[in-house]
Amino acid sequence: MSLTKDLARILALSMSVCTLSVRAASDEPKPKPENTVGVHLSEPVPPQKFDHAPKFWITDVIDRSGNPQPMQVLKSRGGMFLDRQPTAIVREALEESLKSGSLLASDRSSADLEIRVYLFHFGLAEGSGVDFFGKVEFSAVVKNPKTGETAEVKATGTSIAKAAARKKNVQKNVQEDLEDSLKDATRNFLRGQQLREAVGLLSKGADAASVSNAKP
Amino acid sequence: MRSRIVLTIVLFLGLAGGSAARDSAPVFKTAEAKHFSGVEGVELTPAFYDYFYAELRSELTKSKLVSEVIGEGEAVEDADADKSVVITGTVTEYKKGSVVKSALIGFGTGMRSLKVDADVMRRSDKQNLCTIHVHVKVEPNWNEKIMARFAAQQIAKDMKKEFGTKR
Repeated sequence: MSLTKDLARILALSMSVCTLSVRAASDEPKPKPENTVGVHLSEPVPPQKFDHAPKFWITDVIDRSGNPQPMQVLKSRGGMFLDRQPTAIVREALEESLKSGSLLASDRSSADLEIRVYLFHFGLAEGSGVDFFGKVEFSAVVKNPKTGETAEVKATGTSIAKAAARKKNVQKNVQEDLEDSLKDATRNFLRGQQLREAVGLLSKGADAASVSNAKP
Repeated sequence: MRSRIVLTIVLFLGLAGGSAARDSAPVFKTAEAKHFSGVEGVELTPAFYDYFYAELRSELTKSKLVSEVIGEGEAVEDADADKSVVITGTVTEYKKGSVVKSALIGFGTGMRSLKVDADVMRRSDKQNLCTIHVHVKVEPNWNEKIMARFAAQQIAKDMKKEFGTKR
């Protein structure tokens, strides 16, 4: 008799746990057209000038954020989602900007330097609570395909946007914040001293390799 | 009489317009804010320094003291280096504060406090143009990033006070 009672109790407990988990899952915001935004650069970022302008090719953009939901930007207020993966957004921003400075190769085989991007953060970071703190952080491995030499270049972009009360304004402010931080990170990468040094270092390696190849 | 009043108003408006135009002219071409560091014993998370960096850049942009606020490690044209500054700094003290002391004693006791020293250097010759000391106090139950916001605002304000007069 007591066994039957225990079984009944366990069954009741498991059912209540199931009900709670289903309710929690239903509270999770879902992407809908009204809570999905597109993040793009308003205009390409002009890259810095190099002595011997190399042609770049972006081989990969890899997500290393460890975020299980990279497209979810905001969880509160019914949620807010990106229309594409952050990796696609970063790739587009870098390619457009390189293209504007005539530094993008037409294909991989014609590129002087290859770039592999590791994306560590894309979206909102923890702020003061009275504003939105947008942050884009990535690290790029620039490789000379001829010599196999590599150099690492880090880039960070930040932006602060005002908090808002209305849902519509929250969405607008967060979108602007993300676009600004993406622009800032792209700029930090393309105009950074680190990229200049990496290009100088890898170009030297390529020159040395071509000289050694020319020798009989 | 009426014409005199109108003339005075026009004169005031003209002066105000002139001073506004002077205020909007930036002093520096570019400003680069570096991530601040903390001295030994300061227990603040890396996220705090990230946020402080972002806030400082945001406040510098708002101050209109510089034409362009650039990111950390960005290259600057040699021609602009003379009119560009780099802002570095250190968090010299951070006290968490005490909610109990603040509630029982009051009068500023138990407040959360932050002391920051910032150096403004000319980019071309690394000459120190000014040193800014900031001391921020907030309620002990407030988020520490609120202090970062206030400190960044204070640095931008002090810079405006220091360099705004030298326009």
